[in-house]
Amino acid sequence: MLVTPKNNIVIGIIIGLVVIASYNVDANPIDFVKGVPNLAIVVEEMLLVEPKYVPTAIWAMFETIQMAFIGTIIGFAIALPLSMLAARNLNSKFVYAPIRALLAAIRTFPSILWAILFVIMVGLGPFAGVLAIIMYTIGFVAKLQYEAIETIDSDPMDAVESIGVSKSQLIRYVVIPESSSHLLSQLLYMFDYNIRQTSILGLVGAGGIGFYIINYIKFFEYGKAAVFMLVVLVTVLIIDWVSVKIRDKYIIKSQHGMEVTTK
Amino acid sequence: MTQIQMIQNPSFSLISTKKIIQMNDVWTSYDSKNFALKGINISIDRGTNYAIIGQSGSGKSTLLKLMNGMMNPSKGTIKIDYVSPNMNNKKFKNMMHTIGYIPQSLGLVKNISVLENTLLGALPRLSKMQSLFKKFPEHEIKEAKRILNLVGLSGKEDRKAYMLSGGEKRRVAIARALMQKPTILLADEIVSELDHVTAHEIMDLVADAQKRMNLTAIMVHHDMQLALEYANRVAVIKEGQKILEIGVEGDTIVDFQTGDMTSDDIMEMYAGDTKK
Ligand SMILES: Nc1ncnc2c1ncn2[C@@H]1O[C@H](COP(=O)(O)OP(=O)(O)OP(=O)(O)O)[C@@H](O)[C@H]1O
Ligand SMILES: [Mg+2]
Repeated sequence: MLVTPKNNIVIGIIIGLVVIASYNVDANPIDFVKGVPNLAIVVEEMLLVEPKYVPTAIWAMFETIQMAFIGTIIGFAIALPLSMLAARNLNSKFVYAPIRALLAAIRTFPSILWAILFVIMVGLGPFAGVLAIIMYTIGFVAKLQYEAIETIDSDPMDAVESIGVSKSQLIRYVVIPESSSHLLSQLLYMFDYNIRQTSILGLVGAGGIGFYIINYIKFFEYGKAAVFMLVVLVTVLIIDWVSVKIRDKYIIKSQHGMEVTTK
Repeated sequence: MTQIQMIQNPSFSLISTKKIIQMNDVWTSYDSKNFALKGINISIDRGTNYAIIGQSGSGKSTLLKLMNGMMNPSKGTIKIDYVSPNMNNKKFKNMMHTIGYIPQSLGLVKNISVLENTLLGALPRLSKMQSLFKKFPEHEIKEAKRILNLVGLSGKEDRKAYMLSGGEKRRVAIARALMQKPTILLADEIVSELDHVTAHEIMDLVADAQKRMNLTAIMVHHDMQLALEYANRVAVIKEGQKILEIGVEGDTIVDFQTGDMTSDDIMEMYAGDTKK
């Protein structure tokens, strides 16, 4: 049962913690209500969309997509061998433990912090953003990958291992095919996610559409910023829709053991 | 033994290579508490069709896993062609490709085709480059197709493994093992749960391969009848121990412990044990 004396105590404690934490971070519902009119002003100004900025916005979005694309593909490609080393069912503790620690360290930085770091290293511009996305993708997707690898069926692994194949053959001929639908799904998810992330990297000068948005907002030009934000919104919706289509076509079907047409 | 002695004793080489599998007082366990096998002694001559039968949970699959080095004995010795089967033993690793193993669960890679699954048996023969680029030599592909034809799967080479029936999956697993060009075949209940006709088809296939390749086959069965029909030797396992081993010559059955018996006697004795 959900409502037991023990559960009631747990729920009570959680509510108590939320209240204490809110006090500590100055979260005050009254401030929020008072702030609503400010939002109304921004929205009103945003409605003065300036359509002549649409081509620039689309171009900036295109740059963002390219950054996300390069970052996702390269990050994914670097993550794959790392995840093979991090999988517990393929390696001894001496191999997977340090690799996991390294990946966990990479994951502690959000992409925006990586972006700041790379802006310092290689200067302002999209290249820093691409590097940030690569790093973020490695840390994040390698974890998804090795978790997927660890769930694959041990029967084919054992059977093929007993043929006397090498470790790399085992990976190439069993591990990758057996986890391919998970890997494809992760790749799509990561690309989708990276487009959203890349859209804000401009905030720290690492290229992409966010650079325009933050600058227009700084100068209170909400109408222009709105154009760029709308383009991000539409792009994200389109990419979402496309990845759902791809997922339905290749991943769901193959997981249910149905015929997958690859035409 | 010196060279001269070997020449003087012409049967030496025969004797020395005859015993392909030897197990001596072998004990093993999965969890350090219960032993799955308790003091197994087995000695198998090259070319034998050796059947292992016994109740569910008696330790048959465990016995096969010991023979291909996937498990190690906690006590006792095992020699496969005079080498200890252990994955960490270099010498054994180098001969693993000659041991065809068909696990009870078959272990097919489900997202790849029948042909690709069969070709896995040829992986140890590929060069590094060939295996990296999935470039199987033409003659290997031809051989795989020949074997698939043999097991009755021609025309289904491009099917994904998950799209096959239970019997077809077994045939793919057999094809993969034959593709290894094995000298030893370990088969775990590959015909249980199949209809009578299909079971015999598959057993005939193994028997045929055995004749042509001078294969030693160790096959686990659930069905005493089938074991007696094909095997030269039948071992009965019960609760981790070998309780009986019989030789089969035509219709006569030789029990090594109690003397001659007829197949009817044996079947009466063990029918209860071996039926699911
Ligand atoms: N992976 C495992 N972990 C722990 N115990 C196991 C494992 N596999 C088998 N066992 C145990 O070892 C004993 C022997 O199992 P084994 O698989 O060898 O039986 P079997 O004779 O092949 O049975 P079946 O006819 O059902 O296949 C059983 O008691 C079983 O519970
Ligand atoms: Mg078994």
